[in-house]
Amino acid sequence: MNASPRSGLFSAWQLRRRADVPVWLDLLARLAAIALALLLVGIVLKLSGLDPLALGRKALAQTLGSAYGLQQALILATPLAMTGLAVALGMRMRLWNIGAEGQLYLGAFFATALALFVEGPPGVMLVLMFFAGALGGAVWVLVPALLRAYWNINEIITTLLLNFVSMLLVTHFAIGPWRDTGASILSATRRLPYEIPVLGNSYLTAGVFIPVILALLLNLILQNTRWGYEVRVIGGSRGVAEFAGIPVLRHILLVMLFSGALAGLAGMIEVSATAHRLSGTISNNYGYMGIIVAALANGSPVGVLIAAFWLAVLLNAGIVLQTSGLSVSAMLAINGVILIFAAVGEVASQYRLVRRDMAAASEPATSGAGREAEPVLVSSQDMEPIPPAEKSPR
Amino acid sequence: MNVLSGLLAAAIASGTVIALAALGELLAERSGVQNLGLEGVMAMGALTAIASELLVPNPALGVLAAIGIGLLLGLIYATATVAFRANQVLCGLGLAFLGTGLSGRLGAPLSGLRAPVPLQPVRIPWLADIPLIGNALFNQPLLGYFAYFILPAAITFVLMHTRHGLNLRAVGENPSAADACGVPVVRLRFVYTCIGCILAALGGAFITLSFTPSWIEGITAGRGWIAIALVIFGTWRPLPVVLGALLFGAITSLGFVAQIQGWGIPASFLGMLPYLATILLMAIPYAMKSRAFRRLGTSPAALGVPYVREGE
Repeated sequence: MNASPRSGLFSAWQLRRRADVPVWLDLLARLAAIALALLLVGIVLKLSGLDPLALGRKALAQTLGSAYGLQQALILATPLAMTGLAVALGMRMRLWNIGAEGQLYLGAFFATALALFVEGPPGVMLVLMFFAGALGGAVWVLVPALLRAYWNINEIITTLLLNFVSMLLVTHFAIGPWRDTGASILSATRRLPYEIPVLGNSYLTAGVFIPVILALLLNLILQNTRWGYEVRVIGGSRGVAEFAGIPVLRHILLVMLFSGALAGLAGMIEVSATAHRLSGTISNNYGYMGIIVAALANGSPVGVLIAAFWLAVLLNAGIVLQTSGLSVSAMLAINGVILIFAAVGEVASQYRLVRRDMAAASEPATSGAGREAEPVLVSSQDMEPIPPAEKSPR
Repeated sequence: MNVLSGLLAAAIASGTVIALAALGELLAERSGVQNLGLEGVMAMGALTAIASELLVPNPALGVLAAIGIGLLLGLIYATATVAFRANQVLCGLGLAFLGTGLSGRLGAPLSGLRAPVPLQPVRIPWLADIPLIGNALFNQPLLGYFAYFILPAAITFVLMHTRHGLNLRAVGENPSAADACGVPVVRLRFVYTCIGCILAALGGAFITLSFTPSWIEGITAGRGWIAIALVIFGTWRPLPVVLGALLFGAITSLGFVAQIQGWGIPASFLGMLPYLATILLMAIPYAMKSRAFRRLGTSPAALGVPYVREGE
């Protein structure tokens, strides 16, 4: 058990798994991941003949340094936080909703349909659109949720494939039947008659409060209700949850439907607060960015708010720098690097470097100590009926 | 008759891309590593192949360049997930973003350019004269034969009939047991993850060197994701995976045919067909009542789980 595969230069040192990862270390690992990714980007920029420090200063000044920039960041952070919450909720149960992009489209689609074809007092209509958006997202995730719950079919693939379908669907309506015939250049619907009110003398709308309220509500539900507790148990170990009589299938269905509804709401907010028209480009990869937000927040609803704001600043910096040679594709690539570093950082925080002689001294206490629900003293035979907690679905 | 023959040829060309990527993913998943980054690797392979052709008009070099970029991305992904044991879902998505984003950025100046020398079809004398299927199956580029005949046969043989294949399957099913028997778990996973990426990049190269053959951002159009889905449909076995790729190719080409023939179905709805069909295909093994069929559809037991040696 003491034999480590590492030898030679590193033989005096050994990696040990931490029984418990302190919060500050977890946070540090995430920050380090972001810093490393940005460093890498800086090196690439430097190599391609640009001055990364000057670019960074310019980006910071125009995003965080001005009231306008700050407001723009908050506006962009709103859909990111919503899709982030959608993905984070699924992560709590080790479900991966990669279809937030498509659910956002459908939420926007449902809300737009209501706004275009039904008339009513604005207040009532906005509430109805809110629920229509949530319904749209939930409808779009229904089939993947059913397939996952009853046949254990990989929800990553099904939700993702539906993203392509939803984009084609919305584009079809935006450039076809619903197209604004008044403005010949636009390939979008006419301006929606209902919009979320603007806050005082600013660019912000009341829409920015929606993710904040929902995040706090979600946190409360997850931490303080029986339902939230059961969801967390299933996330820890599905085997344990089944053994305890928790209706796992029903929870999978519900969590995925709620996750879809959250992403759908992101679409509703976009069409009624920011874009005001439905088009085939209503989402600028917000659904995919939501995955990054949720990963950086490690599935914590309040963390999602912070991560979303941070990512919005980064994205806006990218937009500011577009004239200096960065593009949307480049930002997507940078996000990919951040995601990989974040995943590696998460693992790194679970280990610590110890001297071999000290490790030997503390051997009985730390040996075999796993994370969370990994049974320590159970022999492998007893574990047989419980599937591995981290096992991915088919 | 002519329509049908054309449909088949288009189906085979379109299916080649998916078959290459899906067979690569099959190998990686058999070793227990799920790579969700195929889409990005494929996009980078496609871009590298055509960029190399535009520099030196030689398709063989283009294919080699794609192999190179596939290996590089494979090394990055394997280092993160196999060596550092990072979460495979997050790293895979990261790789997908990285690949699509980077190919879009770097490929912007090449947008709309055609490959000067596409891959030349190689005609197999007698077989190509078979009516209906002959021309489609036996008059395609070498990469096509590789995807449909050589690779599936080789994978089936190695996986099911050699010691090495047994070890590989053991690593994907029960790495601790394999480790205890002296099978190098980490090395096998590392190597097969890289091979998977190389094959995905080859699939991308086939798009820009033979199928379209030109470059535009987003040319992979979700084919990497469909390849991952087809591995599930094909129950982690080479032959059904290749047949699935062919079927997918047929569905895609059906959309083209419907558009050309003017059946009155809007183009965007035809475009949805491949994605919806793939979801349907994934469900088939599970929809079967027969228990034997369900057992076939079981993923490698250790798929997606990083291997940590006990006590480490």
